[in-house]
Formats: sequence, structure tokens, C-alpha cells
Amino acid sequence: MNARTSVPPLWQTAPLGVRSGWVSTHGPCSVHLPGGYFRSVAMFRLQGSKVLAVDMTGDAVKAKNGSMVAYDGQMAFKKLSGGGEGLRGMVTRRLTGEQMTVMEVKGHGTCWFADRASEINLVGLRGDKLCVEAGNLLATDAGLRTGTTFTGLRGASQGNGLFTTTVEGHGQAAILSDGPAVVLRVSPQYPLIVDPGAYVAHQGNVRQSFQSGVTFRTLLGEGGGEAFQIRFEGDGLVYVQPSERNTIAGDV
Amino acid sequence: MSTHGTPGAGPVVYDPVTLPADDNVNAYTFCVELKGGQWFLQKGKMIAYYGAIEFNGIGLGRLDRLVRSSFHSPLHASDWVVAEGSGKMLLADRAFDVNSYDLDDGNLTIRAGNLLAFQPSLALKQSIVPGFLTLIGTGKFVAASNGPVVFMEPPIRVDPQALVGWADCPSPFHHYDHGYLTGVLGGLRAMTGFGGVSGEEHQFEFAGAGTVLLQSTETLMAEAATGAVPPEPGVPGGGGTAPGGHGPQSSGVPRLPGQLGDLQRRFGL
Repeated sequence: MNARTSVPPLWQTAPLGVRSGWVSTHGPCSVHLPGGYFRSVAMFRLQGSKVLAVDMTGDAVKAKNGSMVAYDGQMAFKKLSGGGEGLRGMVTRRLTGEQMTVMEVKGHGTCWFADRASEINLVGLRGDKLCVEAGNLLATDAGLRTGTTFTGLRGASQGNGLFTTTVEGHGQAAILSDGPAVVLRVSPQYPLIVDPGAYVAHQGNVRQSFQSGVTFRTLLGEGGGEAFQIRFEGDGLVYVQPSERNTIAGDV
Repeated sequence: MSTHGTPGAGPVVYDPVTLPADDNVNAYTFCVELKGGQWFLQKGKMIAYYGAIEFNGIGLGRLDRLVRSSFHSPLHASDWVVAEGSGKMLLADRAFDVNSYDLDDGNLTIRAGNLLAFQPSLALKQSIVPGFLTLIGTGKFVAASNGPVVFMEPPIRVDPQALVGWADCPSPFHHYDHGYLTGVLGGLRAMTGFGGVSGEEHQFEFAGAGTVLLQSTETLMAEAATGAVPPEPGVPGGGGTAPGGHGPQSSGVPRLPGQLGDLQRRFGL
């Protein structure tokens, strides 16, 4: 019905979530699907850098519980226990500590999401895999599969536990960061080293290994301040936020 | 090349080639290019890097010479590290605005908590104004601020919480709005709170020629230790005039580097 009646402001009138050019001065913007690839999916677009607008025509998105700030049109909100991954997913999430409280939003119209004024970054997935902490995942296209995976020591050094959330498939996802995330490319010739506290997410075919610079000097209080690092190798993207969470490695 | 993220159609994807050299990536992230050189940075402000970069605490013997020439504030050396190697390194601080400043044979005094990193061609010294550090020489430094920085010229009076630092002008002095604070009415206001306290009765006043740096909010950034000063008479903050009980071991005074204890801070608790 009135799905299209909400005319976005002039500076944002690119067709269905595809924003051309750089309207906001910082932060990654939206990603559009490759040419010719259009199915009836929810279209994600950023309104400012802290509000996500999703245009829906009868399709659905999964979003962090309680993150809806406004909608127009007709929407139905349904809580998905266990992130909509079924009983097995629910048990896995319980066991791994990667609980997500997720709702499914379905309807016609536009729905706006935001979470504690965090910056929102859009990620376009074309069959590749995004790894993100459950707490940093704001919304995903309902067509994307989510799951849990083991991350090893990287998670432990972040104080986030040993597991992380994966998002796979074709579509868009929105991730949260404290300050606009910087997207860094990892390629075989350029590996990337990231502070665990600033790591937000990564995408693509990337191997991560944990690198420790703890020496006897660290124990004497003369450490380099960057005792724990994650090294990314392979081919993909890493999202880094301009802020560090408190980690056990905070001041070492 | 990678299939992830086509340029122009999505987020800007940086790699070591497209990252700026010694410039801002966005308002909150600064990229330093190291080509075998060194940079001083506050502990834990590096968020990511490409290449081979080593981070060493300043107490390290090998860096002694460097510390002697460009780090004259040895008593808080444990809060600083030296990055050396080659590659590109991203710096950020709790999503605050970061900016770089070039000094050309100049001097600039900055609140200790705001300073993130500097080139060793600059010398860092404790200011005699407590809580401030002075950078002297030629080179680049990176500072964070709560909101963008505004540059003003003296004569000016500024709010104490908005002051980030000053360059090339004499240290500021206190200014009180005497007409408002004194007299019978002023006393009544101060004692009872009636009549309204504007919260602006006290300012820092600058005179002379130079530049004053202000941040655009009055929310201070967390203080950083500037190190203890020698307990001599005549040294502000040195406690030299009070006889007895005021040694470097008295509480509230930052520790010497290498001294044991203070484990909580070391482990970030």
C-alpha cells in the first residue's frame, strides 16, 4: 500500500537503497548487488551513519531484538529464538556464548533500525562469508544463513569468548561499530595485523592467527602496549573500528 | 585481485597502497607511514597495521638514546611505546576525533590525555603547567579531541574544559569573574546557589601572540599521567615546600618505569 509513499529526502533519493556518491563524510556506505542481479530482497540503506533504513516489499529481515526505531507501512515483528537457526543452532549458541536475540521483521514499507547510536556499516555478501561478533550484528537479509564458528584465541584475547557468528549467502548485512569502521583489504602479498580490541568483523577467504608479543619485558611492565595481535592472511576484507574495547590485553 | 568490495559501489576499501601516508583515513582514524623510521605513540592506540612494525616499551635499553634526545619526560615513559619498522599503521582513540599537526621549529603545549603520537624529530617535555606536555622542534604529531578542534588567537578567555592546548604563546592564567563572585550578592550566590550560577565564572586567559586550540565540547578526555616532577622547592606540583611526608612514594604520584607493583594498570583491569 503506502510502501513507496515515504519519499526519502532529496539527498538520498538513489533507487532503492543504492546510494551513489558520498553523502556522509565518513563510514562505508551501501553496497549494491552486481548488475542484473535483482531479486525481491529487502534493500538496506543508511540514513546518516547511525540509522539503517530497510525497504521491504513483503520480504523479511532478521535484526537485533529491539533495534527497530520506526517504521511505516505494515510490519510484523516476530522474535526468533536462537537466531532462527533451529534447535541445533539454539543449543550451539547457548553452549558457545554467542547468544543473539533476533527478531524477524516482515512486511511492506520501510523500517528503521539503530542501536545505541553506534555507527552502522553495510556489508554486501555475494556467496562469501562474514564473521562478526553476535553483539555487533544489527541486521541481515533473511536470505542469509547465520551460524556459529570457532575462532580460537583471537576471541579469547578480545574477551568475547572463543566463538563468533558467521553470516553466509547472497544479500546485505549491517554491522555495528564504535566509530565508523575502516575497511582494510587483506591480500596474499599484504597480510594485516589488527588489535583485538579494534577488530569488528571480517569477510572473505581469510585465515587468522593469533600473534603474541609477550616477552619478559611485558612482565616487567615495559611491554610494547600491543602484546596481543591478530594476523589476517589470505584474500578478503577486515573491518576495524577506531576505538578499542577493553580487553585483557588492554595495557600490556 | 580480490573479488570483495568493488570500488565506487560500496564502502571504501583500503589497502597498503591506497591508505594515505601520514594523514587521516577518516575523522577518527589516522594512518602513519613508517619507512624504517620511528614514531612515539601512547600505549594501545594502534588499531591495525600492514607491514613489519615492532612495538617496544620505552624503557628498552636499545631505545635509550632516542629517549634521551626526544623524550624528556622519563617519569611517565611507561605509558609510551616506540613503533619502528616499515609499513602503514592506523591509530585511533576511543572513536574521538584525531588530527595531525605540523610543527615547524615551533612549540606547542597540549593536555597530556589528548596527545596520541609524535615523530621523534620532536622533543616531548613536561610543561610546568600540571597535566600538560610541551612538544618542541620540527615534525608531526597526532592529537585526539572530543569533537573537532577550533583554532583561536589570543587575547582570549576559554573554558577550562574546552582547552586542548596552545602554541607559541605564554602559558595561560586564571581569570575569575570578580564582579559576579564577590560582594554581598556574590557571596550569597556562592553560598546558597540562589540567583543562579552560570558555570562560567572561571576561565583561562591567554595573552600574547600565538594560537589556542579548543575542542568543541566541554567533556574532557581522560587524563594521562605526565610523570612526577622532582620534589624541589619552587617546582609547581613538586611538593617541595612541605617538609616531610612528600616523597616520590607518596600516594597519587605516578611511578617510575620499571618499578614493580601497579599490576591492575598493566593488565588493563
